[in-house]
Amino acid sequence: MSLVSFEHVAKRYPGGVHALNDVNFSLERGEMAFLTGHSGAGKSTLLRLIALLERPSRGQVLFDGRNVTRLSRRQVPMLRRRVGVIFQDHKLLTDRKVFDNVALPLLIAGLPWSEIKRRVRAALDQVGLLAKETMQVPGLSGGEQQRVGIARAIVAKPSLLLADEPTGNLDPELSAELMQLFCTLNELGTTILIATHDIEQIRQLNRRRLELKAGQIVRDQSTMHTNGDDQYEILPSGPASHE
Amino acid sequence: MSKERSRTGLRSGSRAWLRRHAYSFFSSIGALVRQPVVSMMTISVLAIALSLPLGLYTALDNVRELSRNWERLDSISVFLEPSQAEQDARRLASLLSTWPQVLSADPISPGMGMNELAGQTGLDANTIEPGWLAELSAEANPLPWTLEVSPLDDIDVAALAEQIRQQAGVDLVIVDLAWLQRLDALIQVFARLVELLGVLFGAAVLFVIANNIRADIQSRQEEIEVMALVGASTAYIRRPFLYSGLWMGLAGATLAWALLIGGLQLLQGPMQSLAVTYGSAASLSAPPPVLTLSMILGSGLLGILGAALAVNRQLARIKS
Ligand SMILES: Nc1ncnc2c1ncn2[C@@H]1O[C@H](COP(=O)(O)OP(=O)(O)OP(=O)(O)O)[C@@H](O)[C@H]1O
Ligand SMILES: [Mg+2]
Repeated sequence: MSLVSFEHVAKRYPGGVHALNDVNFSLERGEMAFLTGHSGAGKSTLLRLIALLERPSRGQVLFDGRNVTRLSRRQVPMLRRRVGVIFQDHKLLTDRKVFDNVALPLLIAGLPWSEIKRRVRAALDQVGLLAKETMQVPGLSGGEQQRVGIARAIVAKPSLLLADEPTGNLDPELSAELMQLFCTLNELGTTILIATHDIEQIRQLNRRRLELKAGQIVRDQSTMHTNGDDQYEILPSGPASHE
Repeated sequence: MSKERSRTGLRSGSRAWLRRHAYSFFSSIGALVRQPVVSMMTISVLAIALSLPLGLYTALDNVRELSRNWERLDSISVFLEPSQAEQDARRLASLLSTWPQVLSADPISPGMGMNELAGQTGLDANTIEPGWLAELSAEANPLPWTLEVSPLDDIDVAALAEQIRQQAGVDLVIVDLAWLQRLDALIQVFARLVELLGVLFGAAVLFVIANNIRADIQSRQEEIEVMALVGASTAYIRRPFLYSGLWMGLAGATLAWALLIGGLQLLQGPMQSLAVTYGSAASLSAPPPVLTLSMILGSGLLGILGAALAVNRQLARIKS
């Protein structure tokens, strides 16, 4: 069973914007994939649908085989705890310290304080911010804030990591380092979906790439071949091929 | 084996629940401390609102206590006919004191009566011409022999008065209970008023806290959204606000109590000088601890209730 699958999903925002149109794909357990497309193509919307931050207008989104729109009020928080989300606009608590921001998912899960301290420090270490744990968020640079968001997303060891342009504010060196971190997490079993503009990075990593255009998946390319031309699989409209 | 595992799973689950509660507990205190001025102002408003019914209740309680003392001092004045002499008065006094309803019966001579009258009206030997009083009592004292009868507690004073009136040589029996009854009725009216005010100001506590929490939620909408995004349940988001309501209720009522104690302390001096003029030692008593405690706890509960009202409305609005 796939971890995530979209079946004929459409999303229309109030006001009439059709952000997604008949999207079909699935993401296997342990897979690491990239989501690309122009600005406004619907990448953020697709990620938000998985984390139940938005509800689909049509079709269904399955997480672990269950239709997420049918989850009860109590089950929604449980799903969100299994999904780590790195937001495009960070979504940090600006009146708290770095440490408290990263600790939030663990506090909610009710872990022992000693365990929380250990895990938060480990996550901050992984994104290279251990020295800044006592700083307030507004005192951080844009890239540092982004890394706090990454630490918060990975601290609870979610089974699915959704990243919305996680390296958008970072210099090439740092972004390569963080991509390496995502690869390591993926090797340890985390399923990862990353929305990004950075085609060069995808080229180097040689992973599956989904491309959105005007709310539809126009390319689903499993791997790239370094020696040949780009080989795109043009999808016919219909159910996802990964099932 | 699997039973064992599920039991430890349950135990660690309830431990996580406890820890979540502890984190909410501290975060609610953190929120109060982070904006000390706002918290202090709200708590002061609550304290002032609560101190009014509490103060009135205390005043009423003290008046009630005083009136109980007056009732005990209450006695029946028996005026004998002018023809009755000292030995008649003494005979009647010893007869009355054998009655089961009577605690004591003391004869008062016309001279003593005159002195007492003079004392009560503020006339004494220093303020009036010397010799005038003696002259009056020796020659033209208009007062007859009188008996001061103290009834036992809890008897029908009116019936006793009637019985005394039928004795030979008795001219007039005076029982002035009317003003005590009036005082009693007045106290009851005020007691009802205090109850009413208590309910009104309890409602005020509820709404002040609800409004405060509503503003708090609005200013922390971003935080609530982020918490929901990382998997906080509604109950988890709600909890710190309920704690805030509890803290404000408890602190407001405790401060109201402190205000009252301060007020009583300030009134103690003047009250003492007033009591001296009545020749009795009166002191103001604070409300009983049980009442104080239940007021503080009740205010805390109202705080939780107010917070719950606000949180449920606001969270429903945010979710939709
Ligand atoms: N909350 C919203 N209400 C109305 N329209 C929205 C909302 N969020 C997104 N949209 C619209 O949906 C479309 C897709 O937006 P989305 O944020 O998914 O794009 P994106 O691919 O993430 O773009 P970017 O690369 O700039 O982040 C856009 O046209 C946008 O205007
Ligand atoms: Mg986006």
